[in-house]
Amino acid sequence: MAQTIRIGGGAKRPDKGSLGKRFARSVRLHWQLYVFIAPIFIFFILFHYAPLYGVQIAFRDYKAVFGITGSKWVGLKHFRDFFRSYYSMRLIVNTLLLNIFGLLWSFPIPIFMAILLNQLNNKRAKSFIQTIIYVPHFISTVVMVGVLFLFLSPTSGIINKALTSLGMKSIFFMIEPGYFRTLFIASDIWQHAGWNTILFIAALTGIDPELYEAASVDGASKTQKIRYIDIPHLMPIAAIMLILSCGSMLVSNTDKALLMQTPNNMSVSDIIGVYVYQQGLGKAQFSYTAAINLFVNVVNFITIMLVNFASKKLGETSLF
Amino acid sequence: MRRPMSQSALRHGSGYGRKTTGDRVFDIFNSVFWVVVVGIVIYPLWLVLIDSVSNPGDVYAGRVVIWPIGFSLEGYKAILASKQLLRSYLNSIIYTLSGTVFSVFLTMMGAYALSHPFPGKGAVNFFIIFTMFFSGGLIPSFIINRALGLYNNPLAMIVLGAVSVWNLMIARTYIQTNIPGELYDAAAIDGASHFKYFFRFVLPLSGVIMAVLSVYAGVARWNDYFTALVYIRDRNLLPLQTVLREALASLTSSAASLIEDSLKIDGIDVQAATRKAEVAKYCSIVVSTVPAVLLYVFMQKFFVKGVMIGSLKG
Repeated sequence: MAQTIRIGGGAKRPDKGSLGKRFARSVRLHWQLYVFIAPIFIFFILFHYAPLYGVQIAFRDYKAVFGITGSKWVGLKHFRDFFRSYYSMRLIVNTLLLNIFGLLWSFPIPIFMAILLNQLNNKRAKSFIQTIIYVPHFISTVVMVGVLFLFLSPTSGIINKALTSLGMKSIFFMIEPGYFRTLFIASDIWQHAGWNTILFIAALTGIDPELYEAASVDGASKTQKIRYIDIPHLMPIAAIMLILSCGSMLVSNTDKALLMQTPNNMSVSDIIGVYVYQQGLGKAQFSYTAAINLFVNVVNFITIMLVNFASKKLGETSLF
Repeated sequence: MRRPMSQSALRHGSGYGRKTTGDRVFDIFNSVFWVVVVGIVIYPLWLVLIDSVSNPGDVYAGRVVIWPIGFSLEGYKAILASKQLLRSYLNSIIYTLSGTVFSVFLTMMGAYALSHPFPGKGAVNFFIIFTMFFSGGLIPSFIINRALGLYNNPLAMIVLGAVSVWNLMIARTYIQTNIPGELYDAAAIDGASHFKYFFRFVLPLSGVIMAVLSVYAGVARWNDYFTALVYIRDRNLLPLQTVLREALASLTSSAASLIEDSLKIDGIDVQAATRKAEVAKYCSIVVSTVPAVLLYVFMQKFFVKGVMIGSLKG
């Protein structure tokens, strides 16, 4: 084990031999680390890279009996089919709108909450609030949507009871297309806005207290401190979160949309993820839906690269 | 403000109630804001809880608003009689426990390796992070996993999604920033291998981050219904959430499958049965949600700390 000491010591490593030899020695010294990384490596090969290899079925007519590479090559047929189909426009628009409205609402709220929480003077109140607002994050999507169905039920739901007692008509929210996006986004915010403050609270905790003290000496009010200290400090992390969100504009929360979809709200609840699930697994149209998947992936990848590039050019933060 | 009041009072004399009017208005607004937010978060949870123990007729009529009416545990009795639910509950416990252990162990091993320099580490990092930006998608994954024999196999519930790039990076950052490199040097001088060092020092010193990873992995597994929807066909292997989904998120709610057992027994009064089914739904929500929330509450102490440490650099 004398060899390992040298590596740990770092600086003492003698720079003898060619690059190849040095590399070989280093590998010999660190073989154990390769053992540590091996399970992860295999995991990623099996569950991430093998499916990437399988993406080629988007250009083939996949039949299970012929396997992935044995199935007939059909080029861009499935992509053409998708874009010519009646559904493609509706799916893309629905997915985009759900994500854009979702981002507009659910992006600023956690930042706002983190700033206000940071300004609370009472430490115990602060930690109590933190404990409470994280709780909904731990509720499952199935339960969340189940609660929506129960509370919004036209016959027994508490919301409609309140509406009718105020003399209004009861509304069957879950089948009314006009309410789908609102309910989807509002329940998302209820569940995750509190949790999403964590990152911003961490960033605010990292601010040097002397900045606030200096501001107090200069007679700054709380709103001024927020404006000139908190917000500039939150910008980098907010920019990164925004860039990441832009990379998933066509990705959808399929689980939730699937649960909230009812025959009547199809016109707005039919989004790409749900369609891929229903056509791909329900009707075994593997190649066709793999093509849709690939299209989404490529668009997401290009978007995230463009946004990242633009953000870099503007002198703001970037991912890499 | 984070600094102690006394200190700020000494320095600026602001602790004697001589805050500016603007700041006082701000504080009032802020307090009101949080009272409202906490109310919005708690009330739906409370409502589900009181609905689950109230008299079905009153729940159905919407009279249960602030306090339970006609306390009864009928709903809980009904769902406890459902074999399907109990079976899936047990399945979920098994999937969650084994899946969490598997996930945390794999993540810690990988994170440990990535916290050390070794030849080819840059390539491995790229190899892992690339998957965040480009993935095969549902259908190619399904085809590959089916070929691997995971279709209708309970292992799918344990293995799939066990390692996430994000968790790997959080754990790596934690190890790098919280376990001093000198400790490894000292251990190596004493002749400890990476294996020995990992089990003797790294794991015992990583309690906080392992708690965080366990909550992440455990809750994700407990709450997951989609994996089972795609991969599990055998009804005896279904996890809790998938069974719940059939009972909860459906429009044809009147004949809830949850209490079909009891429906058979006193299946005369359909209306009463419908109301009972409604309460049974609330009960099933409580029973399925309590474990995840309790896990969070118990782990909460480490949790906020660990998440912050991990996220600072992320």
